[in-house]
Amino acid sequence: MSAHAPRSIDEYLRQLRAALEGQDPALIQDALYDAEEYLRAELAAHPGKSEADVLELISSTYGAPDEVAAAYRDTEAKVKAALKTPVPAASVSASGWKRFFGVYLDPRAYTSLFYMLLTLATGILYFTIVVTGLSLSAGFAILIIGIPFFLAFIGITRVIALGEGRLIEAVTGERMPRRPMHPGPPAGWLSRIGEMLKDVRTWTTLLYLLVMLPLGIVYFTVTVTALSVGLAFTALPLVVLARWLGWASDVTVFSDDVHLGHWVLSDHSMISALILGALGVLIVTLLLHAARAVGRGHAHLAKALLVVPGA
Amino acid sequence: MDDSQARKFQKDLNAGLVALVLLAVLDGSSEDLYGYEIAKRLQRANEGEALFKEGTIYPVLRTLAAGGFLTSRVVPSYSGPARRYYRITDEGRALLTQWSGIWRQTRGFVDRFIEGTSP
Repeated sequence: MSAHAPRSIDEYLRQLRAALEGQDPALIQDALYDAEEYLRAELAAHPGKSEADVLELISSTYGAPDEVAAAYRDTEAKVKAALKTPVPAASVSASGWKRFFGVYLDPRAYTSLFYMLLTLATGILYFTIVVTGLSLSAGFAILIIGIPFFLAFIGITRVIALGEGRLIEAVTGERMPRRPMHPGPPAGWLSRIGEMLKDVRTWTTLLYLLVMLPLGIVYFTVTVTALSVGLAFTALPLVVLARWLGWASDVTVFSDDVHLGHWVLSDHSMISALILGALGVLIVTLLLHAARAVGRGHAHLAKALLVVPGA
Repeated sequence: MDDSQARKFQKDLNAGLVALVLLAVLDGSSEDLYGYEIAKRLQRANEGEALFKEGTIYPVLRTLAAGGFLTSRVVPSYSGPARRYYRITDEGRALLTQWSGIWRQTRGFVDRFIEGTSP
């Protein structure tokens, strides 16, 4: 490191950020948060000294930016290796059938499916919070409570962004921040607001929370439709079998026969039931593949909007 | 003797020991502690040059918390960012007991040779 010793907290954080360049943005956010917590506490513990004097001691106590960066890189690599969910062998090596049905063994497929069902609820919640918060902020802007209200609103969106990130990491394994965004040095209301308005991430976070509603509707609809149709079809051969055995004579799966060209699918014929059952399995399997892909894609979207602009 | 070799040896030793020390500090404390406070306790306990940089304890605290060995809560602070307070969990105590045993065994083993060679 050719960089000279930092003389202010901002400079220290800039150097730390530079030393962590190329690392996961979520890790950078955590490291900067920890460093700022320490540096500000150290500064507060030495009220008589100037910021530059305190920073001079930092490299021998807290560590120079590149030393601290190395500690985070090492720890992260170890933790990642230890906590990584083992990828089922079938999804890596095998091809064809094994690979197609291997998705049933992948925990990520189920957690992503669960996430897709959940997004309708979270989407409605986020959308309502953002629309209410923005319109009330606009309405209150002429009053004295306008400024604190807006600050509280942005604070809430940051907490939501952190929670959403934790959820996405649990569901998809994509590394997301474990600390909130740093509020920066203590400052007056007006400069705080100025900082927030200038921060791209404030706006991309709001965008993400708004977009979650339409996305949630799509995710939820696709999941529920494919799941109910797929599972119903899959169960059809069992229904026909049960009816033969006289156990479920009053169960009707479709009230009318289905005509597909010159094919007639009836819920009384075993051949129809087996064809539809195979179709059901296909639908459920495709849904699991789709869920896994959506989980990955959504994690990238979340990272692009909730984490990267600030890192 | 080259100083960088001494530093490298110390760093290798610290790789596992920092986590052990942090567990012990939190186990011995009656109240929850935050990162800066823990760092200062370690600094006070140490005479002479610091054995490790305080910046290196934060990622270890985070790792231990992620493993369920510590719990943490965030408390707003007037002097700067909100502080994250840590407390040891039952799993953390079990880990501490196990690791302390390993440490005593290792120390005894190493000492047996080192004491033999020193004048």
